[in-house]
Amino acid sequence: MHMADALLAPAVAATMYAASGVTAGVSVHQLRRDDEVQKLPTMAVTAALVFAGQMINYTIPGTGSSGHMCGGMMLSALLGPFAGFLSMIVILAVQCLFFADGGLMALGANVWNMAFYGCFVGYFLIWRPIMKSGWFGGDTPRARRLRVIVASVIGCVVTLQLGAFSVVLETSLSGITELPFGAFVALMQPIHLAIGLVEGLVTAAVLVFVLESRPELLRDVGHASGAAGRSLKSTLAVLAVVAVLVGGGLSLLASSNPDGLEWALFGNEEAGYSQNMGLDEEDFGVDSKAADTAASIQDATSFLPDYAFPDSDSAAGTTVSGLVGGAIVAGIAVVISLAGGFFRRKRSAA
Amino acid sequence: MNEMDRSLFALREMDELAAGDTPVHRLCPAAKLLTTIAYIAAVVSFGKYQLGGLLVLIMYPALLFSLSGVPVSTCFRKLRFVLPLVLAVGLFNPLFDRAPLLNVGGVAVSGGVVSMVTLMVKGVLCLTASFLLAATTPIDALCAALRQFRVPSLLVTLLLLTYRYVGVMTEELSVMTDAYRLRAPGQKGLHVSAWGSFLGQLLLRSADRAEELYGSMLLRGFRGEFTYAAGRPWTCRDTVWFAVWTALFVLCRVFDVAGLLGALLTGGMR
Amino acid sequence: MIRFDDVSVAYEKGATVLKNVSFAVEAGETVGLIGANGAGKTTLMRALLGLVGHEGSLTVDGLEVTKKNLPEIRRKLGFVLQNSDNQMFMPTVYEDMIFGPLNYGLSRAETDARVDAVLERLGLTDLKHRHNHKLSGGEKRMAAIATVLAMEPEVLLMDEPTSALDPRNRRLMIETIRTLPGAKVITSHDLDMIWDTCGRVILLSGGTVVADGPAQTILRDRELLEAHGMELPLRLAGL
Repeated sequence: MHMADALLAPAVAATMYAASGVTAGVSVHQLRRDDEVQKLPTMAVTAALVFAGQMINYTIPGTGSSGHMCGGMMLSALLGPFAGFLSMIVILAVQCLFFADGGLMALGANVWNMAFYGCFVGYFLIWRPIMKSGWFGGDTPRARRLRVIVASVIGCVVTLQLGAFSVVLETSLSGITELPFGAFVALMQPIHLAIGLVEGLVTAAVLVFVLESRPELLRDVGHASGAAGRSLKSTLAVLAVVAVLVGGGLSLLASSNPDGLEWALFGNEEAGYSQNMGLDEEDFGVDSKAADTAASIQDATSFLPDYAFPDSDSAAGTTVSGLVGGAIVAGIAVVISLAGGFFRRKRSAA
Repeated sequence: MNEMDRSLFALREMDELAAGDTPVHRLCPAAKLLTTIAYIAAVVSFGKYQLGGLLVLIMYPALLFSLSGVPVSTCFRKLRFVLPLVLAVGLFNPLFDRAPLLNVGGVAVSGGVVSMVTLMVKGVLCLTASFLLAATTPIDALCAALRQFRVPSLLVTLLLLTYRYVGVMTEELSVMTDAYRLRAPGQKGLHVSAWGSFLGQLLLRSADRAEELYGSMLLRGFRGEFTYAAGRPWTCRDTVWFAVWTALFVLCRVFDVAGLLGALLTGGMR
Repeated sequence: MIRFDDVSVAYEKGATVLKNVSFAVEAGETVGLIGANGAGKTTLMRALLGLVGHEGSLTVDGLEVTKKNLPEIRRKLGFVLQNSDNQMFMPTVYEDMIFGPLNYGLSRAETDARVDAVLERLGLTDLKHRHNHKLSGGEKRMAAIATVLAMEPEVLLMDEPTSALDPRNRRLMIETIRTLPGAKVITSHDLDMIWDTCGRVILLSGGTVVADGPAQTILRDRELLEAHGMELPLRLAGL
């Protein structure tokens, strides 16, 4: 999934660099604040290990083909999201510089696609909620093992799906390929579903091994609350996932029909309803300089004008907006969960 | 040679190349980094059909290869990592974009073919640029440049420390892989029964190693700060290097140098 | 200089690794610490360095080994690890050598002077700007010693200094150890090296000190050695 420089337009590459840069800054700040700079040796050794471990060939039973492990989920389960994120950045940087695996300008995008989802979405929305819940029977060894397996598999599948989708999004937004968005998605997602499953199972195997030998090396393996104490985060996780699915699914269903509201207000000429509220779309609205300015600003800043990509006519544009909206909801969920933790700590420190 | 041995070889190769001593090697790493970024930005900013203008930019890597003595073959061996995805993406262009764009000696070339070739050329050019950067700049010099650009020291130190141990871990894993193969004839990869314990064992040993490493840092008074040797200072030679190249890139981007050249050579025939 | 007084160390899992260990090492002495695998040699060193807790009285130059005194104690003790990879973690030898002195507040100028002096004394000046990950095993070990000496410790602790060295490097290591100033405590299975470098030997077995005396005496005592999982040095074994 490493992207080359050629697949990105400068604007997209810069945006992704900014996003990854901000996240890295937050991670550094968090580590310093929690006085975890002493974890540097552990981070370095683990990062080096994951780097090497990506070359291990895992034979998938029954198929004769093999898979590899990327390591985002594993790193965040071992080091936590912030340290894990920084470690992934370093791994990707070494791959970029010494193996030409991924471009220099695409590093920001690669970090986002492979590290952000694995370390933040994977940790806050999947690993921690599942590990802290009481699923599979409370705090027994068997229950813990199952939770590790489930968290690993779901985590890897989801984060790889998000990563693959981001690759498609970034490439399409850069106007690089003639491949229609829908076709591109249809190509990437299933492949990465399979890859994600394999990676999830491998990650699960390794983490279960660590769990049985030295559980203190894993995060959030502790006293899990019962089913009644299912954390807020897991609820948010479910909500976020649902939002993404709903946004995507419904948008697809909506297809080329105008939004319900638009239909109600302005009528659907083609379908023969022009008598709904008798409003003329062009003349509707306040006529003022402020509105004009606002409109022109919106024109300038909206990169999904009319819910479609530049130069593309496909209905997949709508789906993207729906998914983007859903991803934003998920992002807000992450922010909320982080903020929640932040405020809780502030209160307890006071 | 297993996969880990190959990557150890690649790492060592880049290390050896970076330890050279040519005018390019002696440039300030910050200047090289900035110029590389300017180049990649220029290449990537060409439109999808602007193959001609793009090809002019080959002069940068070509000149650098000759000035630095870095072998071109080493670079092209690394293409196998980047090209698959670029190819996969570009290969569809001729299928979807069939409108003829050019007429080359009587043969109509569709826009899709042109954009596919452009994409691949872009891929190769960008790769050569970052390869040349890594092949003429040792990692600690590169990190010195990053520190100059105010990249957080925590991240830079992590990069250096990780790089220090990548060879060690890859070596251990290589030995383990060979040992596994010697007892698993006919198997191509890890059997599912060993999925957890293979990497898991190494992980546990690494936890011990990290502890010992941390201990040896503490024993030498570690309190969170690392001090590095001073890097190469930025001289006016570096300013000239960066300024001249960037100006050339901008020139090639703004003016159709290739078109002019082509018009000259083909006597105004277009 | 170093005084163990009835020191015991037990890990959390309940096993007592060191039991009632008592001995002293004076300034200028070179002591060999020998024993079979698992006898407690490494634990003893780790307790001394404050990397593991202990019971009993353990002092370095009069200072009790407690959390408060650790910085001061660690300045006096130099530890050369068996695995040099875990010790040489900076990009170059030079940067590894300046790490310790700078952390202890020395000025850059003083540190640089020390680095050059140590490298010259050990004959390793050409290693100064070499990258750590490119050094051979023997070079790394020597560089590690140089790194530790840059701190000018009063006591040098060495864990298996000749392990995995080829004969020439081993010989070089033995020569180097003999020239090093200050008190030295050396752990090793290489009894011939202990013979060549140490005046006194402490034999650990099962976490307790079973013998403490002149090297030449203990290392000639076949019954004693064999009773505790050891053998005579090769030079005495009739080869």
